[in-house]
Amino acid sequence: MSERYRPQVIEHLVRPRGVGELADPSGVGESGDAACGDIARFTVDVEDNAVSGVRYKVYGCAACIAAASALAELVEGRHLLAAARVSRADLEHSLGGPLPQGKEHALTLVLDALHSAFEDHLNREGGSSLVEGGTSSAGATHDNGVVAAMSGGVDSAVTALLLKEAGYQVATVTFRLHDGERGSRSCCSPDTVLFARDTAHRMGLPHFTLNLKELFGQRVMRDFVGAYQEGETPNPCVACNAHVKFHAAAFLADKLGLYHVATGHYARVAEGPSLARPVDGDKDQTYVLWPVPKELLARTIFPLGEHRKTEVRKIAEKRGLAVAYTPESQDICFIPDGDYRSFVRKKVRAEPGDVVDLGGRVLGRHAGVVDFTVGQRRGIGVSAPTALYVTEVRPSTRQVVVGRRRDLEVSEILVRDMNWFLLPEASRFVQVRYNGAPVPCEIEEGETKGEWIARFPEPVVGVAPGQSAVFYTADGQRVVGGGIVSRRTP
Amino acid sequence: MSHPVYLDNAATTPVDPRVRAAMLPHLGGRRGNPSSLHASGAAARECVEEGREQVAELVGALPEEILFTSGGTESDNLAVLGLGRAALPARRHAVVSGVEHAAVRESVRRLEREGFEVSWLEVDRFGMVDPEELADAVRPETSLAAVVWANNEVGTVEPMEELAKICAEKGVALHADAVQAAGRLSLDVGRIPISTLAISGHKLYGPQGVGALYVRGDTSLEPSLLGGGQERGLRSGTENVAGIAGLGAAARLAREELEERVRHETRLRNRILAGVAEIPGVHMNGHPEKRLSNNLHLTVDGVEAEGLVLVLDALGYEIGSGSACASGGHKASPVLLAMGRDEREAFSSVRITVGKDNTPDEIEGFLEAFSQAVARLREISPLYTPMES
Repeated sequence: MSERYRPQVIEHLVRPRGVGELADPSGVGESGDAACGDIARFTVDVEDNAVSGVRYKVYGCAACIAAASALAELVEGRHLLAAARVSRADLEHSLGGPLPQGKEHALTLVLDALHSAFEDHLNREGGSSLVEGGTSSAGATHDNGVVAAMSGGVDSAVTALLLKEAGYQVATVTFRLHDGERGSRSCCSPDTVLFARDTAHRMGLPHFTLNLKELFGQRVMRDFVGAYQEGETPNPCVACNAHVKFHAAAFLADKLGLYHVATGHYARVAEGPSLARPVDGDKDQTYVLWPVPKELLARTIFPLGEHRKTEVRKIAEKRGLAVAYTPESQDICFIPDGDYRSFVRKKVRAEPGDVVDLGGRVLGRHAGVVDFTVGQRRGIGVSAPTALYVTEVRPSTRQVVVGRRRDLEVSEILVRDMNWFLLPEASRFVQVRYNGAPVPCEIEEGETKGEWIARFPEPVVGVAPGQSAVFYTADGQRVVGGGIVSRRTP
Repeated sequence: MSHPVYLDNAATTPVDPRVRAAMLPHLGGRRGNPSSLHASGAAARECVEEGREQVAELVGALPEEILFTSGGTESDNLAVLGLGRAALPARRHAVVSGVEHAAVRESVRRLEREGFEVSWLEVDRFGMVDPEELADAVRPETSLAAVVWANNEVGTVEPMEELAKICAEKGVALHADAVQAAGRLSLDVGRIPISTLAISGHKLYGPQGVGALYVRGDTSLEPSLLGGGQERGLRSGTENVAGIAGLGAAARLAREELEERVRHETRLRNRILAGVAEIPGVHMNGHPEKRLSNNLHLTVDGVEAEGLVLVLDALGYEIGSGSACASGGHKASPVLLAMGRDEREAFSSVRITVGKDNTPDEIEGFLEAFSQAVARLREISPLYTPMES
């Protein structure tokens, strides 16, 4: 029926090390469930970043029990950075070689349970900062340590690799952001997390996870839905960069005593610190990075800012990273099918209202304001001799205002929630859409403190409230600052 | 290290020295193809026919109703596929129990793919088929029924006499897999009107690689192996003379020693049952009385079978696992699921099967090792919390 186990497996099975449960652990992690057949539960004590205690319980085949025993033996007493680096290959090695075919899952199972225990420990340490947001106090001094965010995709994998090759001490982290991850199951972590861990381990790097579902759910997903209810067009990547990703990476860096944080964004950090456009203009992500707080940007490295995407893929291929062939992710991560309308509709009750023209004349009915964004042309449901565009969404009266293309033209916008890297006066261009071209502008402070007015010499079409307005310097290369386009006009 | 204690006799039995003695002449000195006309051929033929008589006697059949195969699986395949493929176009319906051995189950599934309609019979929590349900399931177009005589996993003995009578009355050919039953139950096909019955050598202290199929005289079967027309044209291929000699000797010994073996096995099995009953959270599967004398099938709460089998192996005791490990991507035993057990229970089940050569001392040693192994694995298990006593 099946291959025989090696003597090392039987030895661990018959005399397992470190069985049990810690009385007052600093972290608990479980993987597997009844549907899977196997269950592993690890309890850990982590003090001063050292794994001072580890105990486990396992229900599963001999391979699972032996793998848990070998893993406990490998991590007990080690520094967290060393413990989080223990890989499937390390486990295999201590079990005398590859497990019989079909039993390899045991390695993934026990590693996942241990890493979940580490995650639990870190999440407990993070407390409200990982739930409600906010910055933690940086305790680390400037050094060559870095926490690299790792999604499992090619960009983040090459980011970690480049940092490692540049001599940094790298720890990788994958964030659990929502329950719709690809390859989600009821038992183990989603495939994306397992894949990211495996990729990190193959590079010899420690891997951590943090559970940010609550934070992401509130600050990104809920606000995403809320924006549509307000008649705005949100950008969830901006919200994530503003409140979630960089803060969480910095938190982990502080915990581990590493100074830097890194992501696989295509951007550069210039003096100031300020954001600068990357070498690969086609992949430029400065537009979504404007809200990263200055004190975090000062600690941030964007290794990919110096490379073209084609080079990044080549690097991955040359180093044999399995991620090299993963497809580009384009959609909003928590709406993998790209159908954000249905996503919003599931969260809020849409109430019908009127479609009106600029003069207030009723042209038809619509099923809910959440279905509309400014600049939209399709799906308005009103026939007219010339093409109609949504020019405004008014949630309070449930009106959708439509007009002709030239009615979308604006000559100035009001921008709020500013984050400045340089003196605002340095602004010469503004970009108002992710893939839009920057247009010349002049800015001045608005009447309300913290709000700014951008004036365009030539009218601009398609500015949607809720989107970001990002200001660039005269040479167009550096981000001066950014903010959110307000619904109100100056 | 001394030999391990072998308690997996349902998987295979050791070859009896007397069986070995009957086989040895054919594995060296003697030669001859039973189909050859010369003296050597005639001697081989004689040996095959003697084996046929011995097997026929074990099951109460006529010698010409026995044909030899390569084992239980082939016998089951030949019977099920053979009966099914010989059925008239208007009678392509089968009634089959939900607790069949894979050799029968998969053959039936093959018939299904060939256009057969199949009614799968449910069983009770002991794995027992209800004769009334069988009777209800039979339709005018039913040509074939299959029920395992004694279950290979949980040891439950089915009410074969009643089932066979129903089938005979309704003109349905009944196949019985008697691989585990042979040598432990009296299988009198003269009295019990079964159409085909499968037997295996290596469950009877005979050699591996040889089996037999009883085919009632008036039954028509479509052969699977085609060639020289041996075995009444139902199973072409030169006969396994040494194997048949071994199976014949094993059948003779099984018949002669049946009562004694059953008494011995029952005593040892009951001792194990009494011993393990003292461990909390250990449950017996299968019928409490109507079960094979050598079989004890247990669910051990909170313990996965593979670990238990291997820890016992390390302690020198060999038993069988009820279901293969979930990590291996294998499925839980369909037999246990049919009996209403859940997957977790199925993965926590082991099969202990004693044999004629086991001794009471071995059993005492086993009981000690078993409770030790269970305790050790429960210490590891997150699914078992001892009840307050």
